[in-house]
Amino acid sequence: MRDTLYLAWRYLAFHRVKTAILVGAITLIVFLPVGLRVIVNQSSRQLTARAEATPLVIGAKGSPTELTLNTLYFSSDVPARTTYAAASEVADTDLAQAIPMYVRFRVRDQPIVGTTLEYFGFRGLKLAEGRQMAVLGEAVLGSRAAEQLGVGPGDHIVSSPESVFDIAGVYPLRMPVVGVLEFTDSADDDAVFVDVKTAWVIEGLGHGHQDLSQPEAAAGVLRREGNVVVGNASVMQFNEITPDNIDSFHFHGDLSDFPLTAVVVVPPDQRSSALLQGRYQTAELSQVVSPTEVMDELLGTILTVEKFVIAGAVTVGLATLATAFLVFALSLRLRRRERETLFKIGGSRAAVATVMTSEIVAVLAVGVLLALLLTFLTQRYGDVIIRSLIR
Amino acid sequence: MIRIEGLRFRYGEGDFQLRIPELIVEPGTTTAFIGPSGSGKTTLLNLIAGIIRPETGRVETRNVEVSALSDPERRRFRVTTLGLVFQEFELLEYLSVLDNILLPYRIHAALDLDATVRERAGALAERVGISDKLDRPPRRLSQGERQRVAVCRAVLTDPPLLLTDEPTGNLDPLNRERVLDILFDYVRESGTTLVSVTHDHEILPRFGRVVDFRNFHSFGERAAS
Amino acid sequence: MMAKTKTAAVALAFAAAACSGSAPDSEVDAGSDAQVAAEVDAVAEADALVVFTTNYPLAYFAERIGGERVRVEFPAPPGIDPAYWTPAADVISAYQGADLILLNGAGYEGWVSKTSLPESKLVNTSSGFEELYVVAEDAVVHTHGPEGEHEHENVAFTTWLDPQLAIEHARAIRDVLAERLPGSEAELQAGFEALEADLTELDGRLEAWAAGLSGQPLLASHPVYRYLARRYELNLKSVHFEPDEAPPAGAWRDLAALMQGHSADWMLWEGPPLDETSARLAGDFGVGSVVFAPTGNRPASGDYLDAMRVNVEALEALPAS
Repeated sequence: MRDTLYLAWRYLAFHRVKTAILVGAITLIVFLPVGLRVIVNQSSRQLTARAEATPLVIGAKGSPTELTLNTLYFSSDVPARTTYAAASEVADTDLAQAIPMYVRFRVRDQPIVGTTLEYFGFRGLKLAEGRQMAVLGEAVLGSRAAEQLGVGPGDHIVSSPESVFDIAGVYPLRMPVVGVLEFTDSADDDAVFVDVKTAWVIEGLGHGHQDLSQPEAAAGVLRREGNVVVGNASVMQFNEITPDNIDSFHFHGDLSDFPLTAVVVVPPDQRSSALLQGRYQTAELSQVVSPTEVMDELLGTILTVEKFVIAGAVTVGLATLATAFLVFALSLRLRRRERETLFKIGGSRAAVATVMTSEIVAVLAVGVLLALLLTFLTQRYGDVIIRSLIR
Repeated sequence: MIRIEGLRFRYGEGDFQLRIPELIVEPGTTTAFIGPSGSGKTTLLNLIAGIIRPETGRVETRNVEVSALSDPERRRFRVTTLGLVFQEFELLEYLSVLDNILLPYRIHAALDLDATVRERAGALAERVGISDKLDRPPRRLSQGERQRVAVCRAVLTDPPLLLTDEPTGNLDPLNRERVLDILFDYVRESGTTLVSVTHDHEILPRFGRVVDFRNFHSFGERAAS
Repeated sequence: MMAKTKTAAVALAFAAAACSGSAPDSEVDAGSDAQVAAEVDAVAEADALVVFTTNYPLAYFAERIGGERVRVEFPAPPGIDPAYWTPAADVISAYQGADLILLNGAGYEGWVSKTSLPESKLVNTSSGFEELYVVAEDAVVHTHGPEGEHEHENVAFTTWLDPQLAIEHARAIRDVLAERLPGSEAELQAGFEALEADLTELDGRLEAWAAGLSGQPLLASHPVYRYLARRYELNLKSVHFEPDEAPPAGAWRDLAALMQGHSADWMLWEGPPLDETSARLAGDFGVGSVVFAPTGNRPASGDYLDAMRVNVEALEALPAS
């Protein structure tokens, strides 16, 4: 049998290209519908889990899907802004914990998540290295963000400009990395966490500069009107918060008016949740969103699309399979003389059959194995693929 | 070596019928079957080999009633007892020269491919002058070289009976002589019985006996001596 | 006036009673009682609420009110003014680990707005009397560019110097501790009332002293006494003299100008001034120096009440003009 298989192997090797194409076709036929199913299954499980872990989200009126994706997955589609006052409002009701979120900026491909310490407790995030953020400007990275950016505690990262032509708007802030979180297999791994106030500094709402009332800063003074000192454009705005300049950092205006992309609301029980949702039913400028509902809708859509795609893939698959079998049949026909020769010189039925059909068996077997391998890989890395698609 | 009695064979519904009341081939002899095409020469070769079975009659090869064996038994008989050489060489295009030579040992459990076999294959290849081409596929050989490979394959098992069907039919005169030399040298050395079907009257003098098939088709029944 | 004296007397009596009542039970019977007590102490320590504060007065109030139910930490290094303190990252991490962080409010702890602290643990102990903050009119405000003005209000933050407001701070502390330590209301109330009595006593003495001034002008080396001034309707104006630095010529000129319409006899200092400065004040301006330490940080010796009493005694010792 081993010797006969050797012959089969030599046949396949001689017809490398044909074999490869056939194997590829079989792999795709099997993998496409299976892989798709695996990814959709996994993603719905994952998306649902994350949504279930996030009871309510409050944001400005607009697309609930956009709000949910930005808050849960830090997608780069930034919803209309709400304000910090919204978080205070929720906190004041004493009905739930309110966690402000400002997810707008990025460090290269990694989203910057401006939030408060409560977020870490809420998501159960633990430090793997370094420490939690303490001072304005410090960043704590998710495990994958740290990998992607190639940094650890002690290194620095710089926020990316929002557009090439941003001169007077959002300017890059250089931030020290003080901690890296443990791997959680969630969107949090890709995030660069900063205090929401740091995010406001990136936006330009807070800054440090020379104290314009001091004599040394005379060059930066445009004019004085009584108590009011007006700075001119030469006043250099720091793009890094250091122990030397942190004393000068401040925010202009009322923090309540400062922007947020969302407020994550964590009610302790159903009753509080219902009460809160009731209050926002008639709100004109805000919306309260249940991520579970949004995700269910989104998944419903995905599943419908998936059904169509699978139907398509299966149809094409069957056609391809039929073609493959046609190729096998033709191949057998072409090898008729070979079969006769083997018969004539005394090859056993088993040996002749093996030599003739192992092409088919091998192609099918390898094709299916490769499809299984790809499916396994999809299962392993599916989450990452889905999350990178959302971002 | 070969004994045929009361043979009758017909291809399906056609007119043609092969009738051989008696034919004996002694071991160690070289016999040529000649006759016009369609006279049944190849058919007889196939009957002797057990590739096909007669309607009636007996075909006995090396004391084995081949005509009465089952298909698996006949296959085994062929691979262990016969060597076959064909007009069109019938090498496997996807195997190297060496693998083509070793082919019989890979297609039946009765034959065991071991070091001795490989050595013998190497020696045979050397003898016929193709040992420098063992890795090549058949398409990179000349016609003459291909037939030499086929001969090696046929005699690798050291068969007592060698059946060749127009072995030089596709060869130019030079290669024809070369291949025949190889065959007859081998046969003479090893005492193998050789039966060849041929069209070519020019090679007949080499053979010890010539059987004319005009005597055996449907109109004639006279046994040759 | 009589009522106030009576209140003071009652307060003193209460204080006396409270003092004896709050004597530490260090005199414990030997043997098994000591063991039980130690075990109880250990348990109390383990369950104690960890409270961090941003200045010393709040730490003191929390200790007085919470007693064994709290473990109070105020990690500022000695000698510095906590209002201008920027804690290092490891200290901030310690704050993050607290069960409760008590803030003074009124913009006192500027560093808090530049750090990440858990919102749910922050308590502004003056949020109950925000409308009573003193706004500093002479603060310098800055804006940027031609867009227009945005002011930031500069509010004075040494709120505890007004004993009435100190009591409000303490009340807020009592309330939040009661929330976080259910079942301890009685103990907390007892601690609060004792503290309230002490603060009320201080208030009474200061009131009496202020009354004796009858609107006499006073000077302050720094504008840190606004709450004191408002409470007792003091005719107080401030300059910017540092206790440990010789004031520059310009500062002396400002003082001269100030004293044109404000002939004060005494200047309040946060800490002992340099001899040259006090000598010059006395010699050139006829102004004596008296120390009234705001006690934002721990005093070198004694506790908050000790320091305040020393302050009050220093004022009371001033000869009437």
